[in-house]
Amino acid sequence: MAWSDQIIQGLKDADISLVAYVPDGITWRILGKMEDDPFFHMIPCSREEEAIGIISGAYTAGKRGTVFMQSSGFGNCINALATLNIPSRIPFPMFIGMRGGPGEFNMAQIPGARAVPGILDSLGLQYFSLTREDELDQIIKGGIALCYAGRLPVANLLSTLLTGGRDA
Amino acid sequence: MLRVDAIQSVLDRVKDEPIIANLGGTTFHLHNLSEQRDANLYTWGAMGLSSSIGLGVALAAPDRKIIVMDGDGSLLMNLGSLGTIARQDPKNMIHIVWDNHQWGGTGGQPTHTAGVTDLAAVARGAGIPKVEAVSTLEALEEVFDRALTEDGPWCIVADVEGGDKPNRPDVSLEENLQRFRKTFAP
Repeated sequence: MAWSDQIIQGLKDADISLVAYVPDGITWRILGKMEDDPFFHMIPCSREEEAIGIISGAYTAGKRGTVFMQSSGFGNCINALATLNIPSRIPFPMFIGMRGGPGEFNMAQIPGARAVPGILDSLGLQYFSLTREDELDQIIKGGIALCYAGRLPVANLLSTLLTGGRDA
Repeated sequence: MLRVDAIQSVLDRVKDEPIIANLGGTTFHLHNLSEQRDANLYTWGAMGLSSSIGLGVALAAPDRKIIVMDGDGSLLMNLGSLGTIARQDPKNMIHIVWDNHQWGGTGGQPTHTAGVTDLAAVARGAGIPKVEAVSTLEALEEVFDRALTEDGPWCIVADVEGGDKPNRPDVSLEENLQRFRKTFAP
């Protein structure tokens, strides 16, 4: 199964049907398929923090959702994570299309992407780098279980080693 | 119109509809006026996100009317939310903005709505189908009664006086969340 299909299946198996996102070229390979799949309710957002607010609200009403974003947009999420999800214990899995790795062509994408793991560490949030298709199923399913058991967001970093990065 | 009276007026008109409150004065007032109400969700941070949280609740519970109590300073921080709400078109969402034209929690500094910015016009431009601006309690009550029965999404921008200083309640965030969640249990 292709990496994008493995992620989609993992979300379906966990009954995660609300998908809030700010698109980018990497995650669109997953999101584009979800847009055509009636299982998912897709919520394009103007900004990443907004996506977190929406999915957090859905959780407070008993429905599970996920957030997709690019690594550059992760910087827009810090206040929501720090002042909503962590103190109120509102979990959700997020998927971050990583720029700034092998193959990066845009200098402006590198510093923000390199900061993502450090920011997650500072916030005390767990994350996993997705680099290989053969580990994907275990990490996705395990990460989602961890997320709801610990009642905190968990991040999945989509490495360019898995995705091939984005075209120029 | 005093914000505290306007919030009481909304409380007088609802039964068990979920209410999501913006941080600061609105959360304080709502809690102080209806401490025992399980369907209140308070926010203590995440400035700007109450309308987004409310949209998520509205999408997750399409059979219930959802009320968001936002503020002008907060909504100005997340104007894109109005476009997202319009695009998702949740018929069950009532987004009230208590517009006191100031950042009330930080010393009353004037926001953009104290000058030239018209949040009702912004909401209309974003594509919200039902937008009303009200400046009296009677007008608020009339519009809110309609919003409870007519499809939305609604955005009601209510002009309220600034300067109120409600007492800060002592609330556990986790307890509030779990209590609110239970109101959605099947």
